[in-house]
Amino acid sequence: MAYSDKVVDHYNNPRNVGSMDKNDPHVGTGMVGAPECGDVMKLQIKVDPATGIIEDAKFKTFGCGSAIASSSLATEWLKGKTVDQAMEIKNTEIVNELALPPVKVHCSVLAEDAIKAAINDYKKKAVPAEVNA
Amino acid sequence: MDFYRVLGLGPKLQLNSVELQQLFYGRSRELHPDRFARAEPSVRAAALEESSLLNDAYRTLKDPVSRAEYFLKHRGFDIGEQGTKDVPPELLEEVFELNMALEELKSGDESARPQLATARDHFAALLAQSDDELTNLFAAHDASPAEAVLRQIRGVLNRRRYILNLLRDVNGYLSN
Repeated sequence: MAYSDKVVDHYNNPRNVGSMDKNDPHVGTGMVGAPECGDVMKLQIKVDPATGIIEDAKFKTFGCGSAIASSSLATEWLKGKTVDQAMEIKNTEIVNELALPPVKVHCSVLAEDAIKAAINDYKKKAVPAEVNA
Repeated sequence: MDFYRVLGLGPKLQLNSVELQQLFYGRSRELHPDRFARAEPSVRAAALEESSLLNDAYRTLKDPVSRAEYFLKHRGFDIGEQGTKDVPPELLEEVFELNMALEELKSGDESARPQLATARDHFAALLAQSDDELTNLFAAHDASPAEAVLRQIRGVLNRRRYILNLLRDVNGYLSN
């Protein structure tokens, strides 16, 4: 099975690989995995509390090329979006952008799950802080 | 559940491997092609088909893991499908850390080797533990079948698959 040029590009030059301090109250961390293929994906967002805009996103994925490309693309899309906009990102958009074949659709689902997990983690942390303010 | 039917078994998760083998041999003799040499072509074809089903059934049911997967599939669970994410978060963390260590070793950092050896032992223990859990859950299900128990079994199967994949990778690198 041939990977699309975009997948190869993200695989060879993954964007935003790395990690942020998960204890930072403005950082949300999403860790998801797919037991079937052994993939594990960590995706983090850093949110500007004043604007609610995601100012940085990092990921680290152990898995196939499509899983790496899906999460790499996800971090590109996340930057500059508000948390609510980010919540709207659908796996089908990732599938279309990367031209993923049906057998690799689950990689995009994993990326969407990682985004949602990161946002939920951020919100969970942010709520008590706002109550105190 | 054809695999259970062809062996004349009720829908139980706990199966005795000796009894299972005896059932398999018995049914194999009944379905042996020699017995159908002079039968109608349609009857002969049916026996052959049943015999092939029997072989698949025995191969699947004699292994507790593939048996449980088969069982769950026929109870409407999406076992083995990509997209099942029923894995505890702590395990994901461990899987992630172990992958990090593997990557360091791959990039030539030998200092990761002892950490990997420790991790391998830990994951081997986790594997044994999940096998015990399966045995207990099989018994619990057979005593009183419940959807909740099947869901627990699916969780263990997913965890087990993750651990197996990792052990394979780690052993591959440690033996190099």
